[in-house]
Parts: sequence; C-alpha cells; structure tokens
Amino acid sequence: MLMLIALLVYAVIGTAIAILAKRRVISDEDYFVAGRNVSGIVAALTYAATTYSAFMMVGLVGLTYISGVGALGFELYYLVGTLLLLSYYAPKIWKLGKENGFVTPGDLIASRYGKTTAKILALLVSIALIPYTSIQFVSISFLLGNSMSFEAGVVLSAVIIALWALLGGLRSVAWTDAVFGIFMLSMAVAAVFCAFSMNPTPGDFSKLGELLYVPNSFWTPVTFISYTLPWFFFALTNPQVVQRVFIPRDERSLRKMVILFGFFGLVYTILVTLLGLQLRLLTESGAFPKITNRDLVTPTFLSLIPEWLGVLIALSIFAAAITTANSIVLTLSSMFTRDLLRKRSVLAGRIFVVAITAAVAVFAIQKPNYIVDLAVMSSTILLCQLPLILGIFHFKKGGSLAAILTLIAGFFTAIALYYTKATLGIPISVWVLLVSFAVFFIAAILEKRFKP
Amino acid sequence: MKALEGLIVVLAMSVPFIAIKSADLTTYIYWSIVSAIYLAYIAMSRW
Repeated sequence: MLMLIALLVYAVIGTAIAILAKRRVISDEDYFVAGRNVSGIVAALTYAATTYSAFMMVGLVGLTYISGVGALGFELYYLVGTLLLLSYYAPKIWKLGKENGFVTPGDLIASRYGKTTAKILALLVSIALIPYTSIQFVSISFLLGNSMSFEAGVVLSAVIIALWALLGGLRSVAWTDAVFGIFMLSMAVAAVFCAFSMNPTPGDFSKLGELLYVPNSFWTPVTFISYTLPWFFFALTNPQVVQRVFIPRDERSLRKMVILFGFFGLVYTILVTLLGLQLRLLTESGAFPKITNRDLVTPTFLSLIPEWLGVLIALSIFAAAITTANSIVLTLSSMFTRDLLRKRSVLAGRIFVVAITAAVAVFAIQKPNYIVDLAVMSSTILLCQLPLILGIFHFKKGGSLAAILTLIAGFFTAIALYYTKATLGIPISVWVLLVSFAVFFIAAILEKRFKP
Repeated sequence: MKALEGLIVVLAMSVPFIAIKSADLTTYIYWSIVSAIYLAYIAMSRW
C-alpha cells in the first residue's frame, strides 16, 4: 500500500515538473534537443540519469555481490572511457551540431555517409535498444512484485514514460531526469548507510576472500574485456547520450555537463558497489540470505529494511529506470522521425514516442534474460557504429557504401556470435570491433578504387 | 596526445590485474583513486 502511495506521489511530482518544463514546442529542434538551450547542471543530471539506469541499483549491486570488486573496475572503466571520449569528441560534436542543425546522431552520420546510412542506423539502433530499454521495465517488475502484477508494472512504467516525453519532449525529460537524478544519488547514500548499520563488523572485508581482487573465478581477463569493451565506447555509440551532447546552450555549459556527470558517476558507482560488497559481507556473517540469482539481491535487501526506507529506495530505482527509458524512447522517436522518414514533424515524433513505448512494453512482458547480459549485448551491437563515428573526425576514406557494409557486418557478427557462442574464446565485443573496422577500411579502399 | 592519455588511463586501470592480490580493499580504493584523479585532470586541463 505504501509503495502504491509513493508511486502515485512520484507520478504526480514528475508530471508537474514535466508540465512546468513544457514550453511552446514549435519545431522538432525544440522537441528533441530542447532548442539547444539547456544549462550545464541540468545537462549533466540528464546525462547521468539517462546513463545510470535501474542497472546500477539492481544489476550492478547483484554483480558486485556475486563477483566482487571486479564489478567496480568494470563500471569505472566505463566512466574513465566516457570522460576521455567526451573531453575530446564532445566539443567537436557539439560544434558540428550547432553549425549544421543536427538533432539526431543520424544527422551526424548522414552528413558524411549519406541519408541511406542514417536510415539503416536508425533500424539497427532500435533493434539494439528495445531489449536494453525493456530491462528497465523488468527491473521495475522485480521491485514492484509485492505491490502489483508484472504486467501492471510494465503498463504503469509505459504510461509514465510516454506521458512525460509527450508533454514537452526533451525539456520535460531533462527536468524530470535532473530532479530524480538527485533523488537516486540520495537514496544510494541511504542504502549504503542502512547496509552498514545492519552489520556488527561492517569494515571486516577480509571475509570476502577472492571477491576483493582480480582476476578471480568470475573476473577472468576475457570476461572483464567482454563486459568492459562495449561500455568503454558507450559515449560515442549510444544515441541517447550522443544526442545529449547537442543540448548544452554553450561550450561552457558543455564542459560543466561533462565534469559534473563525471563527479555524479564516480560517487554513484562507488556507493552502488559498496552496497553490493556490504550485502555480501552480511551474507558471510549470516545476517543476510545467500542469493544465487544476482538480480534478486537488491529486492531481498529492500524486503529486510524498514518499510518506509525500502519504499523510498525502490522508488529511486523506479525513477532511474524511467529516466533512462524515456530518454531512449525520445531519442529513438527522433531517429525514426528525422532519419527514417526524413520528416521534421513534432506530431510524428509524438506518435513514435507512443509506438516505441508500446513495443518496449511488449518486449518486456516476455520477461527477457539476465539484466546485465542484455545490457552488454545491446552495447555490443552498437559497437558497429564506431568506425563510422571515428571516421568523421579521423579518416578521409570511407563513404556511404563502406558505412552501410560496416553496419550490416558488425550487427550480424554480434547477433550470430551471441546465439552460436562460436567465439573461439575471444569476447564478442572484440570480434564486432575487428569485423567492423576491417570491413570499413577494406570497403573504403575498394570504394575509392572503383569510384566512377 | 589524446591517444597517449587514453593509453596511460587504460594501463593505470589495468594495474590490479597484474600487481594487486590482497584480500582487502586495496583494489577497490586503487580504482576509485585513479578514476578520481583522472576526473580532476579532465576538470583542470584545457580541452
């Protein structure tokens, strides 16, 4: 009952923020990138809330509980990779976006590789991101299990996601992201304090043995690379975050966005992994049940703490899921509208918001597999764009044909290896990168040689 | 220059796989400090 009241309050507050943020939306540039007039702080918080989803408090807590500190290394590799890439590429992408009126990552790709490439990219990205987005719905369902049915949780999430995105587009999404991003961080602090207070010897980590170093029985070098590599390039290959580079109002705001996001990410990652380690320590001390399904670690923890705190933390995870999902839905909507249909229509964007949300909900109801695995698979598929994006800034060779062949080859490599497992012991992400770069360069040479 | 910076960061983050093998929070603290130093460097350096 308490959870339902909290959800209602959350929905009302979020909707009020979305209505406040809503201004007159005249163009698709207003709707999809908030008129490129977002402050550094709001841009940083929406970047963080878009990136850090329910995966953190459900998936990463469970992964740390099962595998130890390697989970921190995996997540911090992502963070330093993002800082490295953003400090170099974000100013260039932002400038290109402002000068050429780019709204989607597809606009950036189309400027070099043509409109057909942008259309294919929109399709591939949607195939990769619909499972990733459905993860958010599944995480919510784990948490709301005691309050409502799985299907009801999915429908509730879908309604909130579509409503906030429909109201004012990216400005609504960014404002709700900003407010709930702060809430997510605060509740992570509360969760860590609570876990520490449950343990009579909270600092005695030596009981965790091999969980405190790498490599261990889980984090072999191959496993670590296969988890880490797709996420290292996340800032360039995931369209929902690339699109956020277009939104700061000036270069100063862009810089502030990157630095504040880095600070948020570092603190949040440390808190979340500390929670996972502390819960494992509680298990070793006999004060917390031994959990084998890593996605159930956080829900079990929430069921053992005072109800009001459990509800607030669950709500912060719900908020994390919603802030990530509505950002992805809005980005996919922009790519369908501008890149696939070549329209500049706010109405079409809104129709796609509803359609994509419905598609994600349908996928989620199938109850897909492990949360972390799905997240990594989505990012692995998206790696096939990397040669194209780097090509814009570093390679003179490579046109439309090279780009299209690269996307198709990389995508099918990821899918084929994911299902056949015929990887020869090499991480799928490495295969995808090798195949994508090889196809790009070979096709670029042939393209130039046989150009009429 | 940026490639060298990237290489240094990746190598620094890989140290626990080679050089740290203690059953305490050394690896945890090491990774947190390296990331914090890199964030401070990004915040202070010119882009």
